[in-house]
Amino acid sequence: MSASAIDNCRYCLMCRHAAPVGHVMHDEAVTPHGIALVAASVQRGLLEWNTSSISALYAEPDSGNCRAHCITDQRLPAAVAAIRATVCAKGLAPSAVYKVHERLVRNGSAFGERVFASGGAEAALFVGDEAHNLWPDCVASARQLLRAIGTDVVPVGMGASTGYMACSLGFPDTARDHARACIEEVRITGARMVLVLAPVDLFTFRQLYPERLGITWPSEIALVDLASFLAARLAEGVLRLHDGQSDAAYVDPTHAVRAQERFAPVRALCVAALGRPPRELFWRKERAHPVGSTALQFSRPGIAEALTRARLKDAQATGASSVLCEDPGTLYQLERYAPDYDLKVAGLYETLATLTRA
Amino acid sequence: MEGLQAAMIRSELEEVVGAGHISTDATERLVYSTDWFWLPQMWLDRGEALRKPDFIVRPGSAEEVSAVLQIANTYRIPVVPWGGGSGSQGGALSICGGIILDTKRMNRIIEIDERSLTVTAQAGINGTQLEWALNEKGLTLPHYPASANCATLGGYLSPRGTGTISTKYGKAEDLVLRMQVVLPDGHILRTPVVPQHAAGPDFFRIFLGAEGTLGVITEATMQLDYLPAVRLLRAVLFDDLGAAIEAGRLIMTRRLDPFVIRLYDPRSTASRIRKILGYELEGAYMVIGFDGDADLAALQEQKAMEIIDRLGARDLGRGPGESWWNHRYDFYYPPQSLKLPWMYGTTETVTTYDKIEKLYYAEKRAVEEGFKDWDIDFIGHFSHWFHWGVMVYTRFIIRNPPEDAQAAARLHNRVWNTAMTAVIKHGGMINEHHGVGLKLSRFMRRQYGDAWPLLERIKQALDPSGIMNPGKVGF
Ligand SMILES: Cc1cc2nc3c(=O)[nH]c(=O)nc-3n(C[C@H](O)[C@H](O)[C@H](O)COP(=O)(O)OP(=O)(O)OC[C@H]3O[C@@H](n4cnc5c(N)ncnc54)[C@H](O)[C@@H]3O)c2cc1C
Repeated sequence: MSASAIDNCRYCLMCRHAAPVGHVMHDEAVTPHGIALVAASVQRGLLEWNTSSISALYAEPDSGNCRAHCITDQRLPAAVAAIRATVCAKGLAPSAVYKVHERLVRNGSAFGERVFASGGAEAALFVGDEAHNLWPDCVASARQLLRAIGTDVVPVGMGASTGYMACSLGFPDTARDHARACIEEVRITGARMVLVLAPVDLFTFRQLYPERLGITWPSEIALVDLASFLAARLAEGVLRLHDGQSDAAYVDPTHAVRAQERFAPVRALCVAALGRPPRELFWRKERAHPVGSTALQFSRPGIAEALTRARLKDAQATGASSVLCEDPGTLYQLERYAPDYDLKVAGLYETLATLTRA
Repeated sequence: MEGLQAAMIRSELEEVVGAGHISTDATERLVYSTDWFWLPQMWLDRGEALRKPDFIVRPGSAEEVSAVLQIANTYRIPVVPWGGGSGSQGGALSICGGIILDTKRMNRIIEIDERSLTVTAQAGINGTQLEWALNEKGLTLPHYPASANCATLGGYLSPRGTGTISTKYGKAEDLVLRMQVVLPDGHILRTPVVPQHAAGPDFFRIFLGAEGTLGVITEATMQLDYLPAVRLLRAVLFDDLGAAIEAGRLIMTRRLDPFVIRLYDPRSTASRIRKILGYELEGAYMVIGFDGDADLAALQEQKAMEIIDRLGARDLGRGPGESWWNHRYDFYYPPQSLKLPWMYGTTETVTTYDKIEKLYYAEKRAVEEGFKDWDIDFIGHFSHWFHWGVMVYTRFIIRNPPEDAQAAARLHNRVWNTAMTAVIKHGGMINEHHGVGLKLSRFMRRQYGDAWPLLERIKQALDPSGIMNPGKVGF
């Protein structure tokens, strides 16, 4: 599988238009084709894994854009993750990668501490690492919104890395540990439904686990996207909100292209939050580019920053004075550089929570 | 390149573009050592190293391009413009080392004029990204090459590319009004505001087809169209290829204005159409399309179908035509695209209607008979139609080429020699839209005959030190 994606992509350039890193770096070596060619060249003895080639290998963002635009569904991100695993095992990965891995092993979290859930409920809200440690307000707001529609949830996975980060960096065994721990924690709560805050978790649980880790999400536990869930309640008139008022631009979160069924519901929530359709970025929906909230923030922070700045510049070009998004990881990255663009950053769930009506 | 010379050049280049926009990294240099030409791809596939560029430079403006070219002149080092690297002719290979000038940082849309229907953009903009921006305004740049996802505007123009809907809208070169070009000595010029005038010769066309040998295109103003209200497509099947070509000729010479006529020879119908669209058919599969206002397009289609009917074709209906349109680029994705370790090449050519059929069969015979020991496959489709003739996109495929890289290269070049000799002998051009590059460079003198020395003089006058893309386009 890996070998064929590498061989198929090394001379295929057909996702270049949609590939985010190549777009901001203007560099062939950090396009899907370039990275595949590097890997293929190592296999053929034309290059070896050294600082220079590994730097290209770690420029792949694992955002799903290349695959989303590949009509033959080449699984290049998974193939790259598999190659990173061999590089990591040989001790050749950048030191920053080992540092974050140490934290992931020690804390089960890349950004802070993992806290285990207590109590049970019919439904759970999967919080995750970024929401708990980097953008905690969205959790309280999400719970407030759920309460407003009569859904009680137990928060799970607080500060927990799901396995996505470890897998993407090249540590599949650690990723499997994280995956099992997350599933176990959900099981203990007895929840029959798990709501997730952002597409990254949806992708990880339903696609990355089986495809890359050989782990299946338990079939008896429904995986539900929170934004879509809330949008449905809004449409039914169960979620009742005051009118919002803002000219914000909506930034599709990192991994949005991996959960395209969310595009419409999340925009319905935006309309409620803003009192009008959001201003749209050029890089939106099917062509939404990520910010630097993937493993790039550790392995290639310069590229991560360039991606985030590109989204902010795109938002600025819409004439908006603020940006709106639901994904805690994306929000955190946007917030870091937003002042340079005179933009304010607002969480979608937080904005909606302030508008809830009794 | 090493030592003091490399350090001197690097430091001067850094002053121009900034250290962040120049690379001498070994990995990057390997990635930039091949474009989409089969030969260098095969070479790497067999584990053989290619000549790499010494520097990859990413200028952000025409002024920076100018300064880079001046440095190259000082040190007498080659400069190879690079857009998307999707060219199939080896035009972007740095066969003599030197500088790869990657234009992709110059990717801004400067102006969309919705009254004159033009767009002015920098040459390094990606084709599909430009198209997305135009579509937001209901506009389109009617140049739809299969490589739009990877190619740049400069790369459209430089090899005189042709897109899927060229039959109605013209080749890339027909859509350009104006260009900004940096000459090999660094001089920056703008061509006149419109191409159709009588204020002297049409000098600016020399940059179209020059493939970076006469300068760098840094900006272009292109003609746009409104997105059509309808696209009517259908497919028909001819028993006889000759009758199908005649149908195409009649449709074109009566000026029925199809945006596409795509005619597959029986071999392609049996292989490519079957594999990609899933239709098992015998004969010559033709897709024909009309676009624009619904009533006008329907009338044009009706007239065309009368001709097609008269020539004995079977109407397959809209489905197979629309399916082709929806899957027209699938032919270029792995694993459907031709792929190593196979050997393949697109020996496409163009000529007038009186010669095209003879030329097609002559090339087919020469290639099939010349290389039957290799069980060579020869397929083709006729895809870009003019009032006076048509282009035929012929391809050869050898599924078991030699494993040894040198032997494979020799066989590859022998097939090309055979194909191009047949093409030139039967009144065809050695290429219609992929360009010349390195692949066809050796045929230019033969192709142009008496006219070749003039081209050499122009090259000598513009680029006396020969820094621009040496070894390409016959120079
Ligand atoms: C899958 C696939 C499908 C294709 N389909 C088509 C098709 O339908 N129609 C078609 O015409 N071609 C097609 N091609 C060939 C190729 O993509 C086109 O020729 C394309 O326009 C090249 O653009 P590029 O930006 O990639 O140019 P490159 O490959 O980077 O360069 C091509 C040549 O132009 C020169 N050049 C590039 N930019 C500049 C510039 N700014 N100034 C001066 N010289 C420059 C280079 O030095 C080189 O000689 C296809 C290729 C692929 C990979």
